[in-house]
Amino acid sequence: MSAYLCGLDIGGTFTDCVLIDEDGHLTIAKAPSTPGNFAAGVIEAIERAATRVGLSMSELLASITVLAHGTTVGTNTIIQRRGARVGLITTKGHNDVIHIMRGSRGLSGQDIKLIVHIPESKKPEPLIPKRLVRGVSERVDCFGKVVVPLNEDEARQAIIELRDAGCEALAICCLWSFLEPAHEQRIKQLAEELAPDLYVTCSSELAPKWGEYERTTAVALNAYIGPVTVGYVTRLDAQLKDMGYKPPLQITQCAGGTITVPKAQAAPLLTLDSGPVAGVTGSVYLGGLMGHRNVITTDLGGTSFDVGVIHDGLPVVSYKSLVNQYEYFLPKVDVQTLGTGGGSKVWIDTTTRSLRVGPDSAGADPGPVCYGKGGTVPTTTDADLVLGYLDPDNFAGGTMKLDRAAAAAALQVLADELGMDLYELASGVATIAEFQMADLIRKVTVQKGLDPREFVVFAFGGAGPVHMGVAARELGVAKVIVPQGDTAAVWCAFGAASADILHVDEQVAIQASPFDLGRVNAILDELAEKGRRHLEDDGIDASRHVFRFSIDMRHRGQINEVEVDLDDGHLDDAALDELRERFVARYERLYGRGAALRGARLEMVTFRCRASAVSRKPTLVAAESLSETVAGDAQTGTREIWWAEQRALTPTPIYDGYKLVPGNRLDGPCVVETTTTSMVVHPGQRIEVDALGNFVIDPNA
Amino acid sequence: MPRISEMPEVDFNGIENPYVPPKQLRISDKLRLHSRYDAEVDPVTYEVIRHNLWQINEEHGATIQRLSGSPVAMYALDLNPSILTEDAEFVYFGPYMQYMSGVTDTQVKWTLEYRSDNPGINEGDMFIANDPWVGAAHQQDVMLLCPVFWEGELFCWVTNCLHQYDIGGITPGSFCPSAESAYEEGIMLPPLKIIENYEIRKDIEAVYLRASRKPQLVALDFRAQVAGNTTARERVIALIKRYGADTVKGVMKRIIDNSEKSYLEKMARLPDGEWYDRTYIEACRPGDRRTHRVVLGLRKEGTRLIFTNDGSAPQEGAMNATYSGWRGSIMVAINELLCWDQYFACGGALRHVDFDPTPGTLNCADFPASVSTAPIQSMEISLYPAYNVISKMIYPDTEMRRDIMCIGGTSQWPATLFRGEDQWGERYGYLLVDPIGGAIGAFSMADGINTGGQSRTPICQLPNIEHTEQSFPVLFLYRKELPDSGGAGRYRGGLSAESCFIPHNTDAITQDTLSSGNATPTSPGMMGGYPSTTNAYAFVRNSDVFDRFGHGNMPEDIGEVEGDEVTLQLREENFLQYPSDVYAVRWTGGGGFGDPFDRDPADIAQDLEDYAVTPAAARAIYGAVINADGTVDVEATLAEREQIRRNRVNGGAPAPRDGRLVYQAAANLDVRADTGGHYWACGKCAADLGPTGANYKDHCIREDRPVAAANPLIGDPARFIDDDVAFRQFYCRGCGALIDNEIAVTSDPLLHDFRPLALD
Repeated sequence: MSAYLCGLDIGGTFTDCVLIDEDGHLTIAKAPSTPGNFAAGVIEAIERAATRVGLSMSELLASITVLAHGTTVGTNTIIQRRGARVGLITTKGHNDVIHIMRGSRGLSGQDIKLIVHIPESKKPEPLIPKRLVRGVSERVDCFGKVVVPLNEDEARQAIIELRDAGCEALAICCLWSFLEPAHEQRIKQLAEELAPDLYVTCSSELAPKWGEYERTTAVALNAYIGPVTVGYVTRLDAQLKDMGYKPPLQITQCAGGTITVPKAQAAPLLTLDSGPVAGVTGSVYLGGLMGHRNVITTDLGGTSFDVGVIHDGLPVVSYKSLVNQYEYFLPKVDVQTLGTGGGSKVWIDTTTRSLRVGPDSAGADPGPVCYGKGGTVPTTTDADLVLGYLDPDNFAGGTMKLDRAAAAAALQVLADELGMDLYELASGVATIAEFQMADLIRKVTVQKGLDPREFVVFAFGGAGPVHMGVAARELGVAKVIVPQGDTAAVWCAFGAASADILHVDEQVAIQASPFDLGRVNAILDELAEKGRRHLEDDGIDASRHVFRFSIDMRHRGQINEVEVDLDDGHLDDAALDELRERFVARYERLYGRGAALRGARLEMVTFRCRASAVSRKPTLVAAESLSETVAGDAQTGTREIWWAEQRALTPTPIYDGYKLVPGNRLDGPCVVETTTTSMVVHPGQRIEVDALGNFVIDPNA
Repeated sequence: MPRISEMPEVDFNGIENPYVPPKQLRISDKLRLHSRYDAEVDPVTYEVIRHNLWQINEEHGATIQRLSGSPVAMYALDLNPSILTEDAEFVYFGPYMQYMSGVTDTQVKWTLEYRSDNPGINEGDMFIANDPWVGAAHQQDVMLLCPVFWEGELFCWVTNCLHQYDIGGITPGSFCPSAESAYEEGIMLPPLKIIENYEIRKDIEAVYLRASRKPQLVALDFRAQVAGNTTARERVIALIKRYGADTVKGVMKRIIDNSEKSYLEKMARLPDGEWYDRTYIEACRPGDRRTHRVVLGLRKEGTRLIFTNDGSAPQEGAMNATYSGWRGSIMVAINELLCWDQYFACGGALRHVDFDPTPGTLNCADFPASVSTAPIQSMEISLYPAYNVISKMIYPDTEMRRDIMCIGGTSQWPATLFRGEDQWGERYGYLLVDPIGGAIGAFSMADGINTGGQSRTPICQLPNIEHTEQSFPVLFLYRKELPDSGGAGRYRGGLSAESCFIPHNTDAITQDTLSSGNATPTSPGMMGGYPSTTNAYAFVRNSDVFDRFGHGNMPEDIGEVEGDEVTLQLREENFLQYPSDVYAVRWTGGGGFGDPFDRDPADIAQDLEDYAVTPAAARAIYGAVINADGTVDVEATLAEREQIRRNRVNGGAPAPRDGRLVYQAAANLDVRADTGGHYWACGKCAADLGPTGANYKDHCIREDRPVAAANPLIGDPARFIDDDVAFRQFYCRGCGALIDNEIAVTSDPLLHDFRPLALD
């Protein structure tokens, strides 16, 4: 019996389970998701997988070495606004931190329309109403020195009042607690005594970072999703143990990698958005297997377009995230989202008589006009169908018929209004959507000092391979890789299965040059010790521990910080010089040559340790030989497709993706179809199947 | 005093007088302009290029932010990038500091007129400029203008503006509250070629940096500005290479034409008329206790808008703005209320807008008036009346009514300028940026936004208290939203906040105040809405704060601490704040919209729940009846309001008159007509409020109340000014509904705020 890696992912409709055996063979099973009690769907998916590999449930569970699971319970709780009733205890006088926010109504970097049209914008629903916030007398200053001791009577009274007001969770955040956590700790202790049923979380444990707003929102969100996430994780863990799974259950987290159940219970916030992040993690691994260290991962679905970046083999991360306009601190793999997808609505700005695509979406229901579910506003998908990119009779593996005539009629109305030909219009819709995608990719690369021409693009999501060839050509990207059908479909679960256990610990200790090496090393030692303890708690043998250290630095007097990696957890004079050089190099890479002020004083702000345990990785089976010969029955027919390059309908060969074999190569124009997507290969482009069975589009062949 | 249009003999060239661009620019033949364009661009190419131009401008702004990294660029976002055509019409103007729009095109036009011959405008050049008479808002707003050339012809301009930390003058930070002229303020540079053939002119840069107390930071910011322009220029060139110069220019022209079309369509839906608004600046120099009147007039005739400032006080002391500052303020309101759907592409609208102020006034000052405080005084006080007059103009159209916005928070900035030695042993000098938290005024269909920022800077960032405490030797006792700080109304203005701090880890902080709007509210509300709180400084010397610390008892309000209360004047200089001296600064909130008696009692209940309104104000201003358990008694509230309205009328209702509705002029005010002609009518009971040729206020029941009655947080004006201030209320003589309010120095006549035109 093989030892399996098992990845699980709960989606909106299906829960995916992917098994990878020691030889790298994949087994995939799906079960309907079961909202309300997601654990049931998870168990069902594992059972179906067991059946496929011919094992009983207990046999399979006993042979799984790592079971990794991405959960959307926290995310759903926030979307549905069904979180806990949360009370907040903070420093007296600072009760309004999360109501005041930090200006701009939390809209920086958001939809520009809300910014230019103020009457449309508003602050988000408060995470915690003012009535449930209590300030207590206590104060620490910027040196971490206690200025006012904690008034325990006030703290007790606050806890009792909030408990009696029906709070289910308690968030604690005091000013400067990341330098002196004693007051928060004491309040937490008092809460555990006085209100043992409350879920309690404090900022110095969850997000010991500089900036009370983002720290408070972090604990508030953590408390909000705490009780429900804890309930879910605890239940699932117990069920799996009962059924015979022995090793610790791994939960995917937003920093990349996984955490164990106790950590997920203490910091459920780490599971937020972990689904898309797992996709990036999976891509790191896939990229590694294919020899690509620079990858732009894209996932284009019906309503959103997610983009992540892997540079030099590591995912690009951010330390501040956004949910419902609330910014919060948490180390996270950076996945940027654009509200554009197959469902983006096409419309005409009547004043300017210009064609627009999105940002409003028809979603999945009623969805595009061609779905025939009552949608009346044409969408990108309708344009794709009219152009011939999609097969009306073979969409989603033939499970859904598309109404081309209805799509064409809806688009024709717009074409008439603009005095355009139907195909010109549909092609314009595709072009505009493709340029929007290229723009987002440009933002996450060029604006971070990265050159997209040094990257390959991974195209996931049903709509991705339809459009990514053109977007990639715009950006000068060398290759678009569409991971092989099945892998792509369960990509996020695969990401979970390939993830490492990871603990990110951070400590803010702001200091200006000349640096006191003794102080710096003491901080690094303490972080390393924390990481070591976490891994030991996870039961990881010391031989598998891996530590990476970094420091966020900046010019004194400036705001922008740059993360600089250290070789190890100890700095001497030589390493300090090297660090300074790395800072300048990294700064100029991000902000342009000559941007750094050599000779200016530097400041260290945040120290960071990533403690991880490398887990066994799935392997994939490469084809033993490549063949250029395309099977005779691979071409399923031809279809009239309107190509922008030729400005005409052209009979175009259509291929069955499952009949192509590694080494096969086709010149555009052509379309390669699988049950989940259509790979649209424009004239002048080329597609081939690589040794792992992935499709690779060369956008500029 | 004559308006600019009445002074044909004067050369408005940006030297003694403000620069006012002529209709036809005088450009040297040495400069070849690229003016060809494709009149027809297909809708797809149009959208792709349009989107690209917007993105170029975005990336331009982001580049400056990233490179500058200064608190000014990162928090206040006191910058703006733009793209203009070869002849300086706006294509796109960024969503950052909106003031800078009005000062951008004028500076480019001046450069075209006065620099195209000598030293010439060539490929690879950039011009630095911050002369307020040529077109800067104030000296600190330094612009960098970059011509973009294609095949030897000037194709377009990319420009940016970035507020500088310090560029000289008698006060660190270059806001000079006691300056009597521009000679005491920062360096002024009429457009100057600082980059020539892609190289920085070291000699010129040295002159620029030499004036600053913080030359290193200014140098870094200058590089950020260069990089921003360079990025934008390269992307425009790439776009031209890809699509052709004439096509790109065709799109630029069409963006402007589209914005013009959108503007014209809107104007066609609105009645003609004149609208006026009046407000005041307090204290123009240390020791001054006068108010200085600010009047804004807007005349709409067909599609043309004319803005005037007749009746505004003469220039004096250190409170003034130049022509371009005043024009920039009004353009903020034009952008946000009329051009938001064109993403602030206001170039097309500007073809139909005239700015015709009176030179020598506080917001159109002649050289060499002191103007370093312009953005936080004269410009701000010019902006908010612009929201009011434009809002009233668009109210009659039910669609455009949704775009209305009342005057928002920090309508005058209560500056706290401080300096000294910090906890790290270094010199510092800055101002408290907390008022940027602002508040958004009420909309015509919804409440304003509590601490929603400043509408003139739609994206800005408030620093965390931990950020401020790290950089400066202060300890904040609190920063909190204030109940009742938002103006009352059918829709409530957003709440503002108050910050309170003591010096910490330092012996003392040297402080200046610089404020206005502390005696008379400068967020007055609209169409019956009430004003927000005034600005306020509170200062308690030798307080017991350390005793309280010792007892673990932190104050949550400055009113709780014991000590010597000091009334700080609005321009107090060089006073010392010692560690036990508690200092609180409150800024104005958002004005309210509509009669507070029209507010839904359920909303009042929510206000009480959210600490947005105190029970006392709910009773006194909203007519709410509150039960013993704190809930609102809906029936009793409605009855109470009805009773108060009846008491106002006191049986004196006029005879009914039922003319047809011509349009709704304000929340409770209609224009109606019958055989007797056009007349004002109450929007609720249709009572006749006099002919439209007269001021409806003269036909209303008038009640004059002390200004403190308008908002519970407004104190006695006599602390700061010698003038008396009244809160005048105008009720329908038929039903007692509130038609409008005004806040006025008692010696000023009634404001005749709306004069309909061509109603026959």
